[in-house]
Amino acid sequence: MIYAPLRLLLALFFIPMTLMSVASPDKAKRFSISGKITDQSSGEALVGATVFVRELKTGTVTDVYGNYSLTLAEGEYHLAFSYIGYLTVERVVSLHKDHRISVELMTHQRELNEVVITSERNDRNVVKPEMSTFRMDIKTIQQIPALMGEVDVIKAIQLLPGVQSVGEGSSGFSVRGGGPDQNLILLDEATVYNASHLMGFFSVFNNDAIRDVKLYKGDIPPAYGGRLASVLDIRMNEGNSKKFEINGGIGLISSRLTVEGPVKKDRASFVVSGRRTYADIFLPLSSNKALQNNKLYFYDLNAKINYRINDNNQIFLSGYFGRDVFKNNFAGMNWGNETATFRWNHLFNKKLFLNLSLVYSNYRYNLGTPTGNNNSFDWYSGLRDIGIKGDFSHYLNTNNTLKYGASLTYHMFDPGKATGTGNESFVIEVAVPRNYAFETGVYAGNEQKAGTRLTLKYGLRFSMFQNIGPGTVFHYDSSYKAVDSTLYKAGRIYNTYIGLEPRVGLLYDFNSKHSIKASYARTYQYLQLAQNSTIGTPLDIWFASSPNVKPQIADQVALGYFRNFRRNTIETSVEAYYKWMRNVIDFRDFANLILNNKLEGEIRTGKAWSYGIEFLVRLNEERLNGWVSYTYSRTFRQINGINGNDPYPAPYDKPNNISIVLNYVISKRFTVSANWVYATGAPVTFPTGRAEIGGKIIPIYSDRNQYRYEDYNRLDLSLTFYSKKKPERHFDWDLNFSVYNAYNRHNTWSINFTQDNTNPDVTYAEKVYLFGIIPSITFNFHFNND
Amino acid sequence: MIKNSFLIVILVAFLLACTEEIDVSLDSTYARLVVDGSIADDSATYRISLSQSADYFLNEPAPRVTGATVRINDGTGLFDLHETEPGLSGIYETDSGFQAVPGKLYTLLVDLKEPIAGMSACQASCFLRPVTKLDSVSAMFHPDWGPEGVWTIKLWAQEPGNEVNYYMFNLYRNGKLLTDTITKKVVSDDKYINGSYMNGVDVMYLNHAHKWETIFPGDTIILQMSGITEEYFNFISQVQQAGYNIPFFTGPPANVTGNISDGGIGFFAAFSNTYARNTVKN
Repeated sequence: MIYAPLRLLLALFFIPMTLMSVASPDKAKRFSISGKITDQSSGEALVGATVFVRELKTGTVTDVYGNYSLTLAEGEYHLAFSYIGYLTVERVVSLHKDHRISVELMTHQRELNEVVITSERNDRNVVKPEMSTFRMDIKTIQQIPALMGEVDVIKAIQLLPGVQSVGEGSSGFSVRGGGPDQNLILLDEATVYNASHLMGFFSVFNNDAIRDVKLYKGDIPPAYGGRLASVLDIRMNEGNSKKFEINGGIGLISSRLTVEGPVKKDRASFVVSGRRTYADIFLPLSSNKALQNNKLYFYDLNAKINYRINDNNQIFLSGYFGRDVFKNNFAGMNWGNETATFRWNHLFNKKLFLNLSLVYSNYRYNLGTPTGNNNSFDWYSGLRDIGIKGDFSHYLNTNNTLKYGASLTYHMFDPGKATGTGNESFVIEVAVPRNYAFETGVYAGNEQKAGTRLTLKYGLRFSMFQNIGPGTVFHYDSSYKAVDSTLYKAGRIYNTYIGLEPRVGLLYDFNSKHSIKASYARTYQYLQLAQNSTIGTPLDIWFASSPNVKPQIADQVALGYFRNFRRNTIETSVEAYYKWMRNVIDFRDFANLILNNKLEGEIRTGKAWSYGIEFLVRLNEERLNGWVSYTYSRTFRQINGINGNDPYPAPYDKPNNISIVLNYVISKRFTVSANWVYATGAPVTFPTGRAEIGGKIIPIYSDRNQYRYEDYNRLDLSLTFYSKKKPERHFDWDLNFSVYNAYNRHNTWSINFTQDNTNPDVTYAEKVYLFGIIPSITFNFHFNND
Repeated sequence: MIKNSFLIVILVAFLLACTEEIDVSLDSTYARLVVDGSIADDSATYRISLSQSADYFLNEPAPRVTGATVRINDGTGLFDLHETEPGLSGIYETDSGFQAVPGKLYTLLVDLKEPIAGMSACQASCFLRPVTKLDSVSAMFHPDWGPEGVWTIKLWAQEPGNEVNYYMFNLYRNGKLLTDTITKKVVSDDKYINGSYMNGVDVMYLNHAHKWETIFPGDTIILQMSGITEEYFNFISQVQQAGYNIPFFTGPPANVTGNISDGGIGFFAAFSNTYARNTVKN
């Protein structure tokens, strides 16, 4: 049985081949320059590095694999290769044939205060036809003060305009009013379904294993699909192909160790990175007896190897494995993700690149009680993806860059199965049957320079989602009661949804100093989390679109003004957006989402809309970097069957947001960092009345989300002290002191309304907060055999 | 049961969270009639309480609803209830020796002396479901659970497999009801045990650190198991969820759904009881 999407995919891989054969020489003599830009010390690809043609005042940037391609008329050119934090390299080229120019850039951090470097600054903020995105390299992220000293990619993302944490200390985030499950989180192209460790206080991304991070809040390129709100594209380190390096860190709650180096110099490299928390080692010392027997830890392991076969072929294999373990005498649970990616980068010629990936992703959890009891049980739930993905970058000519590709993912859902364990257990098996689906995406897009000032971007993504048997589909009546069901046999595609997702954008560049950008994107989402609480737990399961659950659809328009100052060291932007969402999912009051085979009967759907304006100033000065942002945004839902069908503020509606993230290099050996965040309190439903029933005071609630928590604000500080760097020394270290919540504000995590124990007629409100002031210290070291 | 054990695991982790009392200003809301009471298949005097809802921070007992006419219809006849202190208590009781019968539909009829929020009469119906016989009960101490140990109450009974059953459990210690408020009662469906012989199933966990609601060796305990309707099961579950807010688990707060008509709040329940007795051993 060959499925239609598979055939489509096969067909797609033939199209570029045919295109290649018909690609005729240009009329005017034009040649291309292509190559790769890498870090001189580690050999790693630099993503988003700039190639600037001085004569033409034009250029390009490297893709996620560090590759670039330019097509120019015959002639002599001065090329400048640059990247933030690196010294610019200049090359002169006489272009009479195709050239391959690969460049290694050197970081200028070590020369700070020694030589004054005037480097070419990046103006991509203004000239790149891309908006609503934010890229951060891991160096920036590592400078941000972190909770318990655990540097965290997702916590850094939450400081961006338009992005909010779903709760104090949580790894869940909301982008432009969307739910946390509306973000596509990719680690080397594999979907990470649950990015949380330790109930969300830490994310699964070990910063030593990460190279850079890019967030798309809108203007999502046609290559991506499957989520409404955002794409968070995280790339792992490739490993140093020139020398061995050991990096590590010892923190209050965890330690990290990363080893990287060449397998074959300049050709193959590897990186292995591990992290484990050890907070539980101290639990037996706790004065609280209940805590003493607990085990509570997480670990993760990242590994990647890459092999440059020749100039035209490079392969990568990368994987992630992480797990949280929580155990006491009474019960235990563990959960975690596994991902694996095999990738082949191929250059057909100077103008056509292919990236082909095989991707595996798995999220699962286990929960159970020790055997030997009559209620011993084991409960398992999980989700697995196997996918193939091909992306072509086709640099047709100076004015057109074509990107097209296709992907096919096979999803396997295990919503949950609980069984009794051991001979004594009376617990019977309760299972929600497995289900299966295909998700296909085919896309093509072009970036076209129309004259010197205008750049157009247009593309279309075709997405398809198919439920595959075996499967049982319940039929629900108008009151959401299951009346009967249909059973579909194995292998049968019993439901298909198709989505056409146009993605367009334009850039009007006034003079490389300032520009206007606009974009429109439609996105479809076929998978969602059964999560009814604001923060969620590792037990929340993903469920798919089905005959009863229509795909969610969002349309977003955005308009922005971008301007750089002081030789591009200050980037500023203002962006306004409006987003309409259909078939948005919420759950009925007191929904039962756990081990419920009629989960779909708990769903209520409707529409949602968000709008906002985001102001951003980003600094890339020699000593001072960071950003300051202000966002005003609103987001609402109107769901049939909730709040009397009236609109209500969505859970992540926090109108005013300020983030200030600054890092200042005092000297070669000292840097200080600070961030301050402010957000309007989250909307919440409070009781307005009370009734006495069964000796208890029962709250009578206001309309949904009619109240708000107090405003949130927090200051974090950190100071890093570096060892003296000497060229002959192979070992260096730094010591980081950080303080989370420096002025010890008791920010609300939740408010409970409680009945007084001694006088049951009295009720009062009680605020729960998680963190007071939390100081921490982290020691990092670095060793190389240079 | 499974859900509970998960909650316990996680809650242990959050002993570290801090709380503080705060002032919150809340709007006023209109008063509604609140009905609270039940009947069962034991021969006894049963009480129905009528009160009014109030603003959340009223901080005094709920205003009573007095002088109402309260009757119970069992499909064949009407039984009058009498206010214990006429014009004062808002508590209406059956004659002594009232005994409901499994398999019958009971309807509570309330006519108010003065309308509340425009409502002058309401009713509530509940079917009385039979319950399987409880064979025995025992208590077991787990010294290593929690700071001072935990007692589990275990029961033995045959779960009927041919239907979906809902249970409510109450515990008496030396004749005194330990589960004396609605949030302490344990309710369960038969999802994980349908048709099994419940061979020492844990139905209750008593935290021994809470001296006012635990048991001691030598005590006589009586476990009451009641067969309740799905609606009453949902009602108690909702009441138990409506009280707290943990952003990890709890969905948006919502009003509980009772069975009182015409905008009334609360529940009129009818259920059947079975009992088992034992002495707590060391």
